[in-house]
Amino acid sequence: MNKILSVAKWEFWEKIKTRAFLISMIVTPVIIIAFAMAPTMLENHESETTKLVGIVDESGLYFAGLQEKMKEEKLPGDLPKYVLVNLTPDTLATSDENDQLIKISDKKVFNNKINSYLLIKYGGTDSVQLQWRSNATANYKDISNFEKAFNEVRIDLKFKKEGIDPSLKGLFTNQVSIQPIKITEEGKDKESDFLTVFFSSFVFIILLMIMIMSSGGMLVRSMLEEKSNRLIEILVSSCTPTQLLTGKILGLSLLNLFQITIWGLIGIALTGATTISPEIFENIGLDLVYFVLGFVFYTGIFVGLGATATTEQEAQQFNSYISMILILPIVFAISAIQNPNSGIVHILSYFPLTTPSIMLLRLNISPVPLSDIIITISILIVSIIISIYLSSKIFKIGVLSYGKRPTLKELINWVKEE
Amino acid sequence: MLSVKNLTKEYKNVTAVNDISFQVEPGKIFGLLGPNGAGKTTTIRIILNIIKPTSGIVSFEDKPITNEFVNDLGYLPEERGLYKKSTVINVINYFASLKNLSKNEISKKADYWLDKLGIANYRDNNIEELSKGNQQKVQFVTAIIHDPKLLILDEPFSGFDPINQQLIRETILSFVNSGKVVILSTHQMDTAEKLCSDILLLNKGKEVCKGNLTKIKQDFGTNNVKIEFEGNASFLSSLPEVKSVDLYGVYAEVHLKKEVKRAEFLRKISDKLLINQFSVIEPTLNKIFIDAINISNKK
Repeated sequence: MNKILSVAKWEFWEKIKTRAFLISMIVTPVIIIAFAMAPTMLENHESETTKLVGIVDESGLYFAGLQEKMKEEKLPGDLPKYVLVNLTPDTLATSDENDQLIKISDKKVFNNKINSYLLIKYGGTDSVQLQWRSNATANYKDISNFEKAFNEVRIDLKFKKEGIDPSLKGLFTNQVSIQPIKITEEGKDKESDFLTVFFSSFVFIILLMIMIMSSGGMLVRSMLEEKSNRLIEILVSSCTPTQLLTGKILGLSLLNLFQITIWGLIGIALTGATTISPEIFENIGLDLVYFVLGFVFYTGIFVGLGATATTEQEAQQFNSYISMILILPIVFAISAIQNPNSGIVHILSYFPLTTPSIMLLRLNISPVPLSDIIITISILIVSIIISIYLSSKIFKIGVLSYGKRPTLKELINWVKEE
Repeated sequence: MLSVKNLTKEYKNVTAVNDISFQVEPGKIFGLLGPNGAGKTTTIRIILNIIKPTSGIVSFEDKPITNEFVNDLGYLPEERGLYKKSTVINVINYFASLKNLSKNEISKKADYWLDKLGIANYRDNNIEELSKGNQQKVQFVTAIIHDPKLLILDEPFSGFDPINQQLIRETILSFVNSGKVVILSTHQMDTAEKLCSDILLLNKGKEVCKGNLTKIKQDFGTNNVKIEFEGNASFLSSLPEVKSVDLYGVYAEVHLKKEVKRAEFLRKISDKLLINQFSVIEPTLNKIFIDAINISNKK
């Protein structure tokens, strides 16, 4: 036991001092926060110049109203956001002339006379079609601004024509939306929207992935170093391979718990600043259990496979195979969120390689029966024991064999060997 | 006393070690010799309890080697290397703690050995900042800091300059004199010849010759002569009296057949060569090594 602790202590302290660890500890949360905030930041970032927008109104009914409405849209500094130009001639008769007009207006866009223009096609009485014509991908904000303004103008006109009280307009423009509420047995209603569930589960799955891959890579590299300079021979002549392996897994797991704690503190600080929704931390206790068990399980596999690697390239290969398995749950994530009780989701949560990530998902989507939690945790614990047992068998022989990479058949023989 | 009995290690296609037996007494250095691939490393690994033999018994002081015994083992592998990014004292601490040494003992002994080997200044430096020789000294410290009862040294002198070789040699001898069991594995025959009182010569996993070095030399041949000459001595090898010749320009070492009289041989060759000196010599271990391996390869 002393020796296991010695190995664990060594792995912990020597790795914590490495540059790679420090970088991953700082860079990972920065990346995650950047991803989380990017959409909001992009949305808020808008052009600060007035846009010249043409209007081609075949009906001749809407321009005045639109111009009135668009005056309300202001840029900072009280400048108008849009300046509307009426491109419609006074009289329009034939459809040929219409086509001609569109061509001329398109040209104006290409010649940069105007940014874009709104084409209002009039099919008689109440039938209208709208086109936003521009030579770049349309800015969805502009479109929605004009859409909203046009519809209001249209309702205004119709109300006036029919002599309806304009105060009724609110009935049409303010739509009632449905608020999703997740009910819990404790009787606490919670607002649950898709995005929150999606992100709260994903933050953990992605953290798990990043951690397993970065620390798995670190572990394999350090074992490769010990192997190539024969340090491993001194190590295994000082303690048993199982002690060495257990110590390494323990040290690495502690290291990552430390890392999570730091990240958790950053997370809590940001929650305080309301950047991250507190719902992410709703199931934190169980999330952590699956997280840690998943981490230990994968690390156990890494140690066994890493022991057979003889070059850096082979180590990279192992890393990429394992990452592929880790990514699998993300493929199923969307369908799991849409239908948390589907068969495939249940099956995958009993399959040890995907148990941690699928359970992280399920926990945040819908209440998971206690029996399922107990079964999956037991599956993980048994898998950890099996993976460490098999890995230590492979490790024992693998660390002392140099040169050629073992074949699958040889690996099976190693496991069988007494 | 370390005792190895009928040790055999078979892998799928090869027998790495084939029925070898030897004993190492405390207070003596035992030389485990042999060409590359002779089975030395496998033998060492079995003694270190890293791998299990197919058959045979290794025991120390009449007890089989177990996991508990590893704390009394010291091992310096042939290929050197340490954690480059870690400090000297941390590396020593780590390995010593794996030998179950207490913190107090470690710091006392580390300081003693670092001082004794002249690397106390580098205590808090990273390993990679040390010269190759100093790195090797650190590794040597990790092999002996726990005062092992059994010390196995694989090429302990390689990479050291003559001054440091002497320092390491003195340290090893002090270990031997305090009653430790020491096994030395090496290709440097002159080193083995000076240090080892008993040897085991392995080739292709089999014993080629073993026992007390003085006795081996006597058995191998008393009929060796060294001839310093002027002229062309290439004819020597074709003489019927001669078993083998090593020609070195101005002198030759000649291994005569047992029944040949040295005086008659001198008379016979003095016609053809101007002889400056003619002396009887003992065979060197180097000579024994080469001849014994050649004979065993021919078999």
